[in-house]
Amino acid sequence: MLIPRKVKHRKQHHPKRRGMAKGGTKVTFGEYGIQAVEPAYVTNRQIEAARIAMTRHIKRGGKVWINIFPDRPLTKKPAETRMGSGKGSVEWWVANVKPGRVLFEISYPNEQIAREALTRAIHKLPMKCKIVKREVGES
Amino acid sequence: MSEVRIAAEPRTEFGKGAARRTRRAGKVPAVLYGHGTDPQHIALPGHELMLALKTPNVLLTLDGLGSGTELALPKDVQRDPVKGFLEHVDLLLVKRGEKVVVDLPVNVVGDVVPGGRIVQAEVQVSIEAEATHIPESVDVDVTGLAVDTQVLAKDLKLPSGATLQADEETLIVQIVDATVSTEPAGEAEGAAEAAEGEGEAEGE
Repeated sequence: MLIPRKVKHRKQHHPKRRGMAKGGTKVTFGEYGIQAVEPAYVTNRQIEAARIAMTRHIKRGGKVWINIFPDRPLTKKPAETRMGSGKGSVEWWVANVKPGRVLFEISYPNEQIAREALTRAIHKLPMKCKIVKREVGES
Repeated sequence: MSEVRIAAEPRTEFGKGAARRTRRAGKVPAVLYGHGTDPQHIALPGHELMLALKTPNVLLTLDGLGSGTELALPKDVQRDPVKGFLEHVDLLLVKRGEKVVVDLPVNVVGDVVPGGRIVQAEVQVSIEAEATHIPESVDVDVTGLAVDTQVLAKDLKLPSGATLQADEETLIVQIVDATVSTEPAGEAEGAAEAAEGEGEAEGE
């Protein structure tokens, strides 16, 4: 699963969820992609599940790109613990995804299979997404 | 080469409030510059501009400006990342007969040999052409190309009047063996990284 090699601060505040994606909003590497329509924290487990769903569907003859990285730690206090005594331990690693961000890209010769693979991946993600196609030449 | 005539009107008020008012009126704020002239702030009709920009490197003929009719090429287009509507357009002034450097889309045509798969490394290629005679695209015919064949930028058949600006050795299209398992990016690397990373990130 994706996780940072080393971090400057092991516990952080929750990332901000307002606003739209500033970059990474277009399909750059593959032919089709998954674009977020809502903001969400996408965990490394969800990224891995989506990747597996895609790669198992296309089998061979295609390529998958992951455009996001779960670099933000989220903490959680143990159950039935009184408040105080410092911040909880790191429970999840998430990517802070904002609307417009292209999360995954795929290159596959058959459009129908590529779209089905992306649909299966969307089912593993925590927010509404749409499938986008690379627009060649459009300004 | 497509040329679209569009009615432009000068903008007198600026800032996000004014830009939003312009967009609410169905227009798109734009700026026109080039040839050492001062930038001109203009508003263009939204729907017509959207249709025009579907053509790559469309040449726009702008009417209604103080200096008369001007020719312009879209230099930068800002869109809403989710809805896709136009937010702002940068236009570059050009003159008839002037040579400009533009990016042309690369179209792959023809059927690949059985057992082969097309890998398109570049979807655009940079060329120099006359502003009024910019080709719409460059075609790469892959019919009959054997597996492991590479099509480089220097192999492209450019339309007459266009010269290549990109590096000649740039890989455009490659035919690879479709039967070889292409492990998706990060499958093996990702697992190794995760194994390494888990220990360090948790150990801190």
